[in-house]
Amino acid sequence: MAIKDVFLEGVKAGWKVHNASLFTKDQRLEADVVIVGSGAGGATSAEILAAAGLKVLVIEEGPLRTSSDFKMQEATAYAELYQEGMARMSKDGGISIMQGRAVGGSTLINWTSSFRTPAETLKHWADQHEVSGLSEETLKPWFERIEKRLGIEPWPIAANANNEVIKKACQALGYDWAVIPRNVRDCLSLGFCGMGCPANAKQSMLVTCLPASLQKGSQLIYLARAERLTFKQGKVAELECLALDARGVETTGKRITLKAKHYILAGGAINTPAILLRSQAPDPYKLCGKRTFLHPVNFSAAQFAEQVNPFYGAPQSIYSDHFQWQAGAAGAMGYKLEVPPLHPAFAATILGGKGEQNAQRMAKLPNTHMMLALMRDGFHPASASGKVELRSDGSPVLDYQMTDFTWQAMRRAYLSMAEIQFAAGAEKVFPVHNQADYMTSLAETRRVIDGLDLAIHRARLGSAHVMGGCAMSNNPKLGVTNSRGVHHQIENLSIHDGSLFPTSVGANPQLSIYALAALFADQLASGFEA
Amino acid sequence: MPKMTYQLTRRGFLKLGLASGAALSFMTVTLGVTSLVNNQTASGFSYLRSQDIAMLNALLPVIYTATVTNNSAEQTTQISASLIAIDYNLAHLSPSMRKLTLQLFDLITNPVTRGPLTGIWGAWSTASPETIQHFLNRWEASRWTLLNQGQAAILQLARLAYYSQPQSWQLCGYPGPPNLG
Ligand SMILES: Cc1cc2nc3c(=O)[nH]c(=O)nc-3n(C[C@H](O)[C@H](O)[C@H](O)COP(=O)(O)OP(=O)(O)OC[C@H]3O[C@@H](n4cnc5c(N)ncnc54)[C@H](O)[C@@H]3O)c2cc1C
Ligand code: SF4
Repeated sequence: MAIKDVFLEGVKAGWKVHNASLFTKDQRLEADVVIVGSGAGGATSAEILAAAGLKVLVIEEGPLRTSSDFKMQEATAYAELYQEGMARMSKDGGISIMQGRAVGGSTLINWTSSFRTPAETLKHWADQHEVSGLSEETLKPWFERIEKRLGIEPWPIAANANNEVIKKACQALGYDWAVIPRNVRDCLSLGFCGMGCPANAKQSMLVTCLPASLQKGSQLIYLARAERLTFKQGKVAELECLALDARGVETTGKRITLKAKHYILAGGAINTPAILLRSQAPDPYKLCGKRTFLHPVNFSAAQFAEQVNPFYGAPQSIYSDHFQWQAGAAGAMGYKLEVPPLHPAFAATILGGKGEQNAQRMAKLPNTHMMLALMRDGFHPASASGKVELRSDGSPVLDYQMTDFTWQAMRRAYLSMAEIQFAAGAEKVFPVHNQADYMTSLAETRRVIDGLDLAIHRARLGSAHVMGGCAMSNNPKLGVTNSRGVHHQIENLSIHDGSLFPTSVGANPQLSIYALAALFADQLASGFEA
Repeated sequence: MPKMTYQLTRRGFLKLGLASGAALSFMTVTLGVTSLVNNQTASGFSYLRSQDIAMLNALLPVIYTATVTNNSAEQTTQISASLIAIDYNLAHLSPSMRKLTLQLFDLITNPVTRGPLTGIWGAWSTASPETIQHFLNRWEASRWTLLNQGQAAILQLARLAYYSQPQSWQLCGYPGPPNLG
């Protein structure tokens, strides 16, 4: 079955798509709207603004990779499609941070779970962060529109064994669980969403909003990094970009200078605040880059007698929110329970252990179940949070500090995960921590979990959801943008990506980003007509 | 500056390590200045240098214990495949993460810092698997997060390189990606 490479066909048909690594001289270009980043927020905005008749130019630092390039190989996917070649981590190295970096952004390599922003979260933003106009009712039509656009529906097919564990155990224990809605069409259930979907089944930005926007005449320049904005009379005057080599690593020395009526930053959390910091954008209350959140994740591994084959099948199809809102939005930290797909290289880095121990754990990969708990950070003052800083070369790094309050939630989560894995019939459970190993009873596991020294580099932690750092709020003392995503101090500058969130979302963030970007782009487009 | 370099005895390092979180990169900068570090990349590689390769040739078999075969020819092939994969990954890191990684390699390969930091007092090529395992354990258990971080980074690089190679898949029961025809 030959799979149609939608994007390459469009390029052949004459879309304005340019590879900046090939530029032999500096460029100057103009547009109505310049958008930085071709991921969830950027591409969604590009489609709407182009449909409104505006001249849109999208700039993307990552490479262009399309379905014919996706060979389901960890060896190349992580290096080529992830920020910093998959080596992004918090400043002290305690948390691995996964974000995409390619045309399509993180949507190219995400796991397709699509949740609406929880009502509790929207209420918390309105009550505590002076956000207005983003109630459940206002957002409902936007969620519906995106769900239709991206084929988002609860996964109709049986969950793979890795996901089935949550369902089976939660049914037995009387815990809440539900089926995950996914943004896919004609999904082959391969399980390689994290390496780029070879079937163009995942409705990532590469096959949806970007093509629609290019079809309307938008331009896309990739392998070009937005370096800094320049300002004149309180407005953005220009955006300076640097062309990158074919790997997207080193600059080539060629510059691209862009001029527009309006600028949208959608480089994703960490990178968007970094552009503002490099540009020394006005920031009277020193908010930019602060309150960056990660949904930091801890893991629990289990071995089953029967095969789980955690590397095949739709990666995420069942979740449990049983522990998410138990103490209310702002009480003891809640967490969402899901599973990750588990391919060998990824598994080897998570399972850890010394020489032989790692080899033995890996030898049982087909029988291994992995679970993760996503901490809902940012709702309580004692929650862990991060701050974006610039390294000497201007690249960003996140200083994320764990807190006791957050560790306490992780300790509870280790226990919830072990309980669920044993309830589903696991023979052995391993709370993923340097001081623990596989254990055969829940009682023993609980005792070990109670005694774990919870510290970075001991507990293995990761994140695939970076949020905040340019929060919205009507109050300029609390947020970088207003509740329409427009920068408080710079009127021709908007932010349309995950960095807008005042706290973490409390659910996998992509649908929240699509909906906000769509709403804000629509508001922007009507402003242009006026 | 050169004087500083030669004062890096075990006690000197302890002081530095406790005094400042930037100690590791500071020392490397010092070493760099005194040109004790060979920055020439090895032939056939984009970033790995001959001293890195000597170190990895000793270190990787220990990290991969119980996975690499005893057949020395096969083992050599597996280790060289991993070296190529590590070099490829280095080429795709951001410049600052690559610099940090190479600085870490400098610290554990440079004759001045290698002994006090790793407990490996002679050349990497003559180090026993036990001393190498001891070094990894020591860094993992250390109270200095910089050493924890260094150990984690080494294991991460090594394991990503190894398990992304099809040769390793039979060891972990992974049938590989499906054939889409
Ligand atoms: C492995 C993985 C799995 C995930 N799974 C899910 C999931 O199942 N469900 C879910 O809801 N979420 C998931 N996420 C998270 C979700 O994909 C992201 O939160 C979302 O895509 C973020 O959207 P964004 O617009 O903020 O940024 P992104 O989608 O990351 O897009 C930002 C783009 O901007 C580019 N860029 C950055 N800086 C610059 C610059 N200076 N100049 C030019 N370009 C720049 C980047 O290269 C990138 O392509 C996952 C993420 C990962 C990494
Ligand atoms: S599971 Fe579906 S969406 Fe994911 S890679 Fe496979 S075909 Fe694509």
